[in-house]
Amino acid sequence: MENTIEQIRENALTEIENASSADELKALSVKYVGRKGHITLFLRNISSLPEEHRPSAGKAANVTRQLVEARIKEMIQQIEDAEAISSGSIDVSLPGRLAKQGSLHPVSRINQQISDIFKRLGFDIAEGPEVETDYYNFEALNFPKNHPARDMQDTFFVSDDIVLRTHTSPLQIRIMEKERPPIRVIMPGRVYRCDSDLTHTPMFHQVEGLVVDKNIGFSDLKGVLTTLVHQIFDEEISLRFRPSFFPFTEPSAEVDILCVICRGKGCRVCSQTGWLEVLGSGMVHPAVFENVNYDTSQYSGFAFGMGVERIAMLKYGIDDLRKFFENDYRFLRQF
Amino acid sequence: MKFSLSWLQEYLPIEMTTEELAEGLTMAGLEVDSVTDRYAYLDSVLTGKIVEIKPHPNAEKLKVCLVDTGDEKRTIVCGAPNAELGMITACALPGTVFPNGAVLEKGFIRNQESSGMLCSKSELGIGLDAAGIISLPPDTIVGQKLAGALGISDMVFEVDLTPNRPDCLGIIGIAREIAAIQGSRLQYPDIESFCPGQSIAKYTSVEIQNPDLCPRYSAGLLLDVSVGPSPFWLQDRLLSIGLRPINNLVDVTNFVMMETGQPLHAFDFDMLSEKRIVVRAAEKGEIFTTLDNKERSLLPGMLLICDAEKPIALAGVMGGMNSEISEKTINVLIESACFNPGSIRKTSKTLGLNTDASFRFERGVDPGGTVRALKRAALLMKGVAGGRIVDGVVDENPIPASESVIQLSMRTTNRLLGMHFDQETIAAHLSSIDFSVNTINEDSLEVTVPSFRVDVSRHEDLVEEIARLSGYNNIPTTFPLIPADTKPLPKRLTIKDQIKSQFVGYGFTEVINYSFAKRSAADQLRLKSDDPGRSVMEILNPLSEDQAVMRTSLIPGLLETAYRNVSHQIKNLKLFETGKVFFNTRGKSFQPQEVEQLSCLWTGKRVESSWYGNDSDCDFFDLKGAAEGLFHSLRLEKIRFTALPLEKCSYLKPGHSAEIYIEGEPVGTIGEVHHEVLSNYNLKQAVYTMELNLDLLIPRIPEIRKYKSLPKYPSVSRDITIIVDRGIEAQSVMDALEKIDEKILEKTKLFDVYAGGKLPSGKKSLSLRLTYRSTEKTLEDDFVNDIHRQISSVLIRTFNATLP
Ligand SMILES: [Zn+2]
Repeated sequence: MENTIEQIRENALTEIENASSADELKALSVKYVGRKGHITLFLRNISSLPEEHRPSAGKAANVTRQLVEARIKEMIQQIEDAEAISSGSIDVSLPGRLAKQGSLHPVSRINQQISDIFKRLGFDIAEGPEVETDYYNFEALNFPKNHPARDMQDTFFVSDDIVLRTHTSPLQIRIMEKERPPIRVIMPGRVYRCDSDLTHTPMFHQVEGLVVDKNIGFSDLKGVLTTLVHQIFDEEISLRFRPSFFPFTEPSAEVDILCVICRGKGCRVCSQTGWLEVLGSGMVHPAVFENVNYDTSQYSGFAFGMGVERIAMLKYGIDDLRKFFENDYRFLRQF
Repeated sequence: MKFSLSWLQEYLPIEMTTEELAEGLTMAGLEVDSVTDRYAYLDSVLTGKIVEIKPHPNAEKLKVCLVDTGDEKRTIVCGAPNAELGMITACALPGTVFPNGAVLEKGFIRNQESSGMLCSKSELGIGLDAAGIISLPPDTIVGQKLAGALGISDMVFEVDLTPNRPDCLGIIGIAREIAAIQGSRLQYPDIESFCPGQSIAKYTSVEIQNPDLCPRYSAGLLLDVSVGPSPFWLQDRLLSIGLRPINNLVDVTNFVMMETGQPLHAFDFDMLSEKRIVVRAAEKGEIFTTLDNKERSLLPGMLLICDAEKPIALAGVMGGMNSEISEKTINVLIESACFNPGSIRKTSKTLGLNTDASFRFERGVDPGGTVRALKRAALLMKGVAGGRIVDGVVDENPIPASESVIQLSMRTTNRLLGMHFDQETIAAHLSSIDFSVNTINEDSLEVTVPSFRVDVSRHEDLVEEIARLSGYNNIPTTFPLIPADTKPLPKRLTIKDQIKSQFVGYGFTEVINYSFAKRSAADQLRLKSDDPGRSVMEILNPLSEDQAVMRTSLIPGLLETAYRNVSHQIKNLKLFETGKVFFNTRGKSFQPQEVEQLSCLWTGKRVESSWYGNDSDCDFFDLKGAAEGLFHSLRLEKIRFTALPLEKCSYLKPGHSAEIYIEGEPVGTIGEVHHEVLSNYNLKQAVYTMELNLDLLIPRIPEIRKYKSLPKYPSVSRDITIIVDRGIEAQSVMDALEKIDEKILEKTKLFDVYAGGKLPSGKKSLSLRLTYRSTEKTLEDDFVNDIHRQISSVLIRTFNATLP
């Protein structure tokens, strides 16, 4: 043997370190660990060594071969990686090929959010006709004909008996006519009022809710609405219940929430009051139960309704109601 | 409903601050809309001392005064005869807005500079004296605000009353609520001095012909009055809430209406034929001239107040010219009546005549309060207009109001509120607003409702009173115990949500248009005369011509939206909308047929130019791809797009549009919008739209998705290109392949269509890739080739095709 395995290893490693291209390294691979490479030959000639040196020499040669092979592979990778960059890397700052998403209307977004909250509470969701009879829109909800309560809602008429629904409440009647308690349902939908100015559009969206069962009390109404407001906004937003009047509930309550803009300090949005009126609610009026043949001595319930655009305005900071129906792409694309 | 703090204080002492009062009322259900300082306009009126006075150089009657207003001395021109040296008076600074609306400006009067104005009480709206400027005591501090020096201040509250609370349409009603909040007692106006008796029967009588429309009519008589302007206090009360003083008699009727909520009317007694009152319904064709000098055509059934021969007032709405109080009036009959609310509302609505009186009557006045209001008015009139009150009142009451007595259960009340009230607490709350309460047993109270609370008739009404008086915010917050069983959500809702997110994923932006349309929308869409889209539901009272009918298609809304955005230079649009359309199928006395639609619109570029490619315009197949993607994701099968026949092309371009069928039923259309329609909507670029009837589509969506096990053996594919006539639809080739009953033909795919070039004109080539697979074994080439050859020859035969 001319060289010891130590010498071969040293030479190999030095040459590998000094190599400057993948080709050179591949040649070194042939030179040392190829079929006729130095290390291969050394191993092949091990039988010529004295018997007692053979195991240690073999072991040393194998270790050397692994080391050399590993080092060459490592060096080739380093050189190739460096070449990948130097020989024309891509400009990752260029915009990606477009996979453009559309967007949901903010009213749909809020509607879905509200639906999700109530789905988790086990509520059903129902829809109904947008053009209603006087009976369902008014009469059955305890708005008698020629009663000033009808002035509370400016109505679009198709004929004496047919109106564009002014609220989603007619669905309360339609649902209770069909089903028996327990009832818990929300009713999202479009409603129409004959009114158009800065703060009114002739069409808008409401979500109505109805719960009827034995032993439902006003305190339960407060609980459900508190949950709703806390989930739509956050837990810091407190609620204030104020006596009010709706023909189909008794007692009736307007629900104010702490102004989400100023958190009660007073601002333009809340007219410096610190409160925002967002919900109408109340215990279902016994006259309504009588109209659907529910036994008022057995059942009680509550109903509530809110304007979806109003919630969306507060949530997204939209300052102009009319924007919802102008469908300006620049507006819609923000949601 | 407006009231001023000072007026309110006539009935009870107010122990709360203005803020507490507003908050208290709001939380009791009387929402305070605004609180304003009535004398805010006096902020720029100061006390000033005339320290120098000399004649005006250019005007005989004017004087030039130097007025010390504390911080400076102002030169002010003054014409008041009583202005004199050393006088302390009211000095309005420039910028002051007077009650009559005039704004004081700094200026020159007859070439003499004047930087302010010395004012009389009348000019400042704080008295009637217009003869001279205000003269204040000599020890008045100069330079302070006049309001402070005179001790005048008042706040005006505006309450947004709900229709159920007519009892609060009088200030006493509001005072009663405040008394309950404060726990204090109400001081009613004194009417003890009104003389009882029957003398009035000798002078006049009242006959009610329609008791259902007029259950009560009370009248009083005052003789030898002098009509003239009211004293300041009375004018001031009316002005404080925005009412215009007219004369002392009319002012009293208005004052008492605002005080008690009972509308009153004063007739010139001598104008009444036979000096008596007849209450009757109008007959057909009657005409009557109201106080506002307008001739009104009456409908039968409208209630009239008449004398022996003619109408003298439109009951509860407005008096008549023929019996109006004038300077010549000597004797006056005061009406204090109770009319049927629905009847008054109908009359007022029909004639478009809303008055303070009709507003109150249609909500319901206190049937037990007519005589009290009448006596109060008579006594006040005597005070301000002199004369003498005829003893007694006429009080026709053919239908006495029944007293409302309600059994109130503690258990039910507490259940409905989620509270634990005891009887004493409940009784105390109800008594505080003049309900009388008797204990029946442990659970029950017997509650008698006062006559002015016309809104309270049921158990639940009392529950609300208890809840609002104890405070809604003192009711605990609990959660209903709801059983855990639920039903599945309606399929249409979940599918609609899915479709929306699908389209958002495809890059479409959701729009929401009004459900209204213009009448001309059908013409703009070129709908045929028998198109169902022409059966529109018309709105009787639309806000504008653009919103005169309910839409029968979502397309006009989308085209208008596209136009608006294009005019903002946003020319690449992918829009979609879901919503109802309305067909008038049974006439306007019935509900229309409502159909849920999905429509989308694509216009402009498919892709915009970018660093990796050029832009290109969208076309029919972009939109069709979105449709197919949707159908695929909904697992809808048996979809066909067939060329839209010419007679069905209304707003779509013939030869570039299709009808969409699912399982043989037409569910929608898709295509390029007709150029005439585009120009009707001022659009200059190609637009593609699709309309789908979701009511037809959704039921066809399979409920269940079935898994097929994955293939075990590899597939083999073979291509074929055939040359056929151009008129042959690719779909028919696919259909023919479908019909071939070949077990191992797994899938066919059209991958190229070509026309022109070397192909003869009128011909096109279709290239198809057929995929073969067996479920039992790996297919051998020879076997596949054989079958592929057979299939190819079927195609060639069927379509008279050639190979390239
Ligand atoms: Zn605020």
